[in-house]
Amino acid sequence: MVAAAAPAAGERRWTAAAALAPASLLVAIGIVLPIVILFRYSLNQFTPTKMMVDAFTLENYAKFLTDPFYVAVLVRTIRVAAVCTAICLVLAFPMAYCLARTRSRFKNLLLLAVILPLFVGNAVRAAGWMVLFGNRGFVNALLMAIGIVREPLQLMYTEFAVIVGVIAVNLPFVVLTLQAVLEGIEPAIEEAALGLGADPWRTFRHVVLPLAMPGVIAGTILSFILAMNAYATPVLLGGPTFQMMGPTVYNQFAGLSNWPFGAAMAFILMTATLVLTLASHWLAQARYRRATVEAVVVAGK
Amino acid sequence: MEQHSADIKRRRLMQAAGALAGVAAVGGWSPARAQAGGRVVLGTWGGDYSKLLAKNIDTPLMVPKKYEVVHDIGGDPERRAKMRAEARLPRGTDDLQGLSAAQMYEMNEAGLCLPIDYAKIPNSKYLLPQMKYPYGIGHIYSGKVILYNPKLIATPPTSFADSLDPRHGAKLGIIDIQYQFTMMAAALASGGSMTNYEPGKARLMACRKAGAKILPTNEAMAQALQNEDVGICIMWKARAVQWQKAGAKVETVAPKEGIPLYISGFVIPKNAPNKDGAHFWLNEMLEPAAQEAFAEDMGYNPSVTDAKIPPETEKRIGFSAEERKRLIDLDYGYLAKNDAALKEWWDKTFKG
Repeated sequence: MVAAAAPAAGERRWTAAAALAPASLLVAIGIVLPIVILFRYSLNQFTPTKMMVDAFTLENYAKFLTDPFYVAVLVRTIRVAAVCTAICLVLAFPMAYCLARTRSRFKNLLLLAVILPLFVGNAVRAAGWMVLFGNRGFVNALLMAIGIVREPLQLMYTEFAVIVGVIAVNLPFVVLTLQAVLEGIEPAIEEAALGLGADPWRTFRHVVLPLAMPGVIAGTILSFILAMNAYATPVLLGGPTFQMMGPTVYNQFAGLSNWPFGAAMAFILMTATLVLTLASHWLAQARYRRATVEAVVVAGK
Repeated sequence: MEQHSADIKRRRLMQAAGALAGVAAVGGWSPARAQAGGRVVLGTWGGDYSKLLAKNIDTPLMVPKKYEVVHDIGGDPERRAKMRAEARLPRGTDDLQGLSAAQMYEMNEAGLCLPIDYAKIPNSKYLLPQMKYPYGIGHIYSGKVILYNPKLIATPPTSFADSLDPRHGAKLGIIDIQYQFTMMAAALASGGSMTNYEPGKARLMACRKAGAKILPTNEAMAQALQNEDVGICIMWKARAVQWQKAGAKVETVAPKEGIPLYISGFVIPKNAPNKDGAHFWLNEMLEPAAQEAFAEDMGYNPSVTDAKIPPETEKRIGFSAEERKRLIDLDYGYLAKNDAALKEWWDKTFKG
C-alpha cells in the first residue's frame, strides 16, 4: 500500500510543478530578467551624447551615496513612508476591528466602501486632493469662510499634502489586511480576558494586538513598500520642489536619459526598501514571539 | 497545393495577429483607416496636438492618398527613451517622432535619425531656413515672451531682466519643465549667451530666495495666472494666445534681449518601417492648408513661407518686423552637451 501511494504523491508533486511552471516562467521573464538588465545598466557609464557606454564601474552608486542631495531624497522618502505607514496602522486598526466584529447586515456595504477607492487610479485620487488643497480649493475656502485664516494656506506642493495623499492610497490595503486577520481571532478570547478583569486597553495590548500581529506585519510591509515607491502622488501633490525617490528615478531615465545613474538609483531604492522591510518584519516577529511567551507565562501562573 | 494553401492561411493568420498586436502596441488611432498607400506610425504628444494632426493632415491629406496614419501617443521623454531602446532593432515601431528642435538635435547626435531626403519633400522649398535640418523638419514655431497681468504688475516689463527679477517676489512664476528656457532667459538677462547659461544662475537663485513660485507644468501655470496667484512669467507666445482665449488677463511682451525660438518638428528614426511614407507625411505636413489650420487652431507660426495667415491671426500669434529681427535660435550643441549638468543644477541647487 505504501509502495503504491508513493508514486501517486510523486505524480501529484509533478502535476503541481507543471501547473506552477508557466507562472514561474512568467515571473522569471517579467521580473527577474528586467532586474538583471537594470543591474547591468547600473554598472555602465553615462555620456551626454552617447547616453550609455558599456563599462563595469560602481561610480553611479558612489555618486548617489556621496551626494548629500540624493541621500536627502532617500531619507525624505523613508521618512514619508514610515510616517504614512504608522498613521495608516493607527487609522486602519479601529476600522478593521469594527469591520471584523460588526454583525450588521450592512457589513458587505462597509467592506465595499473600503474597497471602492481602489477602483480609482492613484493619479485620479491625487487630482481630487489637488482640488481640495489648492489656494482656492475647498479646504482654504472653508478655513477663510469660518475666519480661521485670512490668506490661503499653502497646502499644495508640501510634505503634508503628499503624506495625506499616500495615506489615502494605502489605507484600504492596510484595513483589508488587518480585517482578514482580525476575523480569525475568536471574540471568546477577548471576552475571556475581559471576564478575568482586564480592562479594554489591557485586552487590546495583551490579547488582540499580539494575535493580530501577523496582520500588522503584513499591513506594515504592504504600506511601507507602496509608500517608498510612490510616484503619482509625490509628483502631483509634492510638486517640483518636494522630491522623492520614485519621481527622481523616473526623471533620470526619461528626462535626462541617464539610464546608468537611474538604474543605480532604482537598485538603491529597491535595496533600501528590502532591508528596511526585512528589519521591521524581524523586529515585529521578535516582539510577537516575546508577547506570545509572556502570554503563555501569564496563563501558566 | 493544399499544403501551399494551408501555408497561406497560416501566414495570413500570423499577419492578422501581428497587425492586431501592432495596433494594440500604439496609443491611439487617427480617424484614417487602413489603405493601400501604406501605414505611417506617428510618435506624437497627445491631447490637442494629436487631434489637430489628425484633423489637419491625416484625414484631409493622407487618407485620400490611400495612407493609414496611426498615432503612437506619449510624452517626449518616453518616446525618446523608446527610440533609444529600439535603436538596435532592424525595424522600429514608429515612422516619425514629434520632438522639439533641441530634442531632434539630441536624437541625431545619438545616431538615431535618418537623414531627410529633401528630394522626396517638394514642399520643403518653402521651408524657413531655421526649420530645415539635415535630420528633421520644423513643423511649427513660436517664441519665448513675457506674460504679465497688468493688475498685479504695475510697470510693464520690457525684458527678461524685468521679468526674472527678485522684486516680483511670489508674483513671479517659473515652470519646472521649462528649465532650459528659463535658464537661457536668465542668462540673456544677466550678460550670458546661448552658449553660456552660467551668468543667469545667480539671478534665478535671487528670485527663488525672494519667493518665486515653481510650478510643475504649463497647465499649472495657466491655472496660477487665471487665479492671479502668479502675475508674471515667461512662456511661448502661442501658449499665451491660448491662455488669453481661455480668459487669463495677461499681456505679452517680446523681450528686448531677444526672443528665443521654440520649434516643434519631426524626425524619421533610422529603423522606421515605412521611410517613404514618413517622407510623404512630412511633405503633407508642409502643405499651406495644414499650416494655416495649425496657426488658427493652436496659435503657432507656420514653418513655410507659402502659408496665407489672415492678418488678424498674424497679429495675434506672430511677431512684428522689428520683433522678427530679435528672434534667436538656440545653440543645440551647447544644450545637448550641457543639458544633464543644467538639469542637475536646477534640481539640486535651484529647487533643492
